[in-house]
Amino acid sequence: MRAHRIKAVIRRHLYEARRNFDRISEIFYWPVIDIIIWGFLTIYLAREENLGLTFVSFLLGATILWGTFFVFQRDLALGFLDELWARNLLNLFSTPLKISEYLTGLIAVNFIKMIFGFLAASLFSLLFYSFNIFPYIIQFLPFFFNLIFFAFSIGLIITALIVRYTTKIQMLAWSFSGLLQPVSCVFYPLRTLPKFLQAIAWYLPTTHAFEGMRQIISGGGFSSQNFWWGIYLNIIYLILAVLFFGYIFKIAKDKGLLVKLD
Amino acid sequence: MLLEARNIEKKFGKVKAVDGISFNIKEGEVLGFLGPNGAGKTTTIHMLLGLVTPDDGEVFVFGKNLRDYSEEILQKMNFTSPYVGLPYRLSVRENLMVFAGLYNVQNPSRKIQELLKLFEIEHLKNTPVVKLSAGESSRLGLCKAFLNDPSLLLLDEPTASLDPHMSRQSREILMKAHKKSGMSILWTSHNMAEIEKVCDRVIFLNHGKIIAEGSPIEITNAILKEERKEPDLEEVFSRVANEVKVS
Repeated sequence: MRAHRIKAVIRRHLYEARRNFDRISEIFYWPVIDIIIWGFLTIYLAREENLGLTFVSFLLGATILWGTFFVFQRDLALGFLDELWARNLLNLFSTPLKISEYLTGLIAVNFIKMIFGFLAASLFSLLFYSFNIFPYIIQFLPFFFNLIFFAFSIGLIITALIVRYTTKIQMLAWSFSGLLQPVSCVFYPLRTLPKFLQAIAWYLPTTHAFEGMRQIISGGGFSSQNFWWGIYLNIIYLILAVLFFGYIFKIAKDKGLLVKLD
Repeated sequence: MLLEARNIEKKFGKVKAVDGISFNIKEGEVLGFLGPNGAGKTTTIHMLLGLVTPDDGEVFVFGKNLRDYSEEILQKMNFTSPYVGLPYRLSVRENLMVFAGLYNVQNPSRKIQELLKLFEIEHLKNTPVVKLSAGESSRLGLCKAFLNDPSLLLLDEPTASLDPHMSRQSREILMKAHKKSGMSILWTSHNMAEIEKVCDRVIFLNHGKIIAEGSPIEITNAILKEERKEPDLEEVFSRVANEVKVS
């Protein structure tokens, strides 16, 4: 991998973010909208149902973390879609740029965007709902890492599917994480799910990240079990995602799909 | 030999786009690639760029196998086609800065300035690509193609969307750069007069096969089966295209 090529990919997507209002608004729009909705719900529940502050913190903390997961996963696929919509794939991959360098550049840009989205949502919840996520940050970091790790694998699989099936399935970039949300136990504990769904949820790193987060907020301390399960699952999913992407990219070159995408 | 394609073949489903062709490009040569639509020209270019994997055969560039040394080879090659886009929200300069980074061009700002001046789009450097005319976009593509001072340039109908004046100007600039740097060029075009003017040698493709190869006059005589004094690739093209229609 060459740093100058990774830097060029970062530059390309930062220029895009600067020039494309959609890319700027998307960084902040959904994370903040989610906080507004869940913030009002927590106010209602706290007042009318006498639910404690811990419950409020669960919901807002989960909203912020889910927002960062969603943004990272979506923007990985969107970055690739930007090339496709601009018919730029041929230009890009007729240079010495390797797909691993391209993805590394995209991850770096998404990381920057995700930090901005996270900060916006966190500050919003602090200012308007008095929920301060920052004291939890250090303990949340390992779970945060697991979420990003998984978001990358999902983003990679969606990108591979777009390479294979073109823009016909581009909606997956926005909608796929919605499929995962109910079984990721974002807003409720794992035990809430029916038994058969619990079995599925257990195999999602997102479930372990949110279970771990809830344990921290409720004062139960850091759950190494949830952290390590998240890591093990993430390693498996990452290997599968990379193999899948590599396989699809090879097919794309064999069938001339990269050229047809353009 | 700068480039050597050995028996390359590509099939898409049941259609054989390129049917076991072999050819080479010598150092400093301008090779014309002609043929009706669907003859296999663009697929061949895509195989030479490593964007499409040949089903059979091999490509050697700078004496190295493209399959194993693509990174090293692509560093010294470039490509442009008016049918390929660039990120349209980015300005002309921003686009060139990105590609200069990909090719690790030293002092990119100076290089970009030189190229914008050469292709006469200096005044558009801060204009987003979406606002460029087709001709201006083509010239931007040419600027991109010259960024890394390539030893081998693949031009897929480089003057297709240019008006006659700009087409002539771009051709002159290309030939000047070619003479100065000694780069080799593979040039596809549907403008037969252009091919006659710029190409040392021409390969005529049809149904994925090479049907004639030689200088423009040799090709004319071989396909028209006459002894002409001047090349007439336009007539050659019409003849081949009509045969395609009949078949």
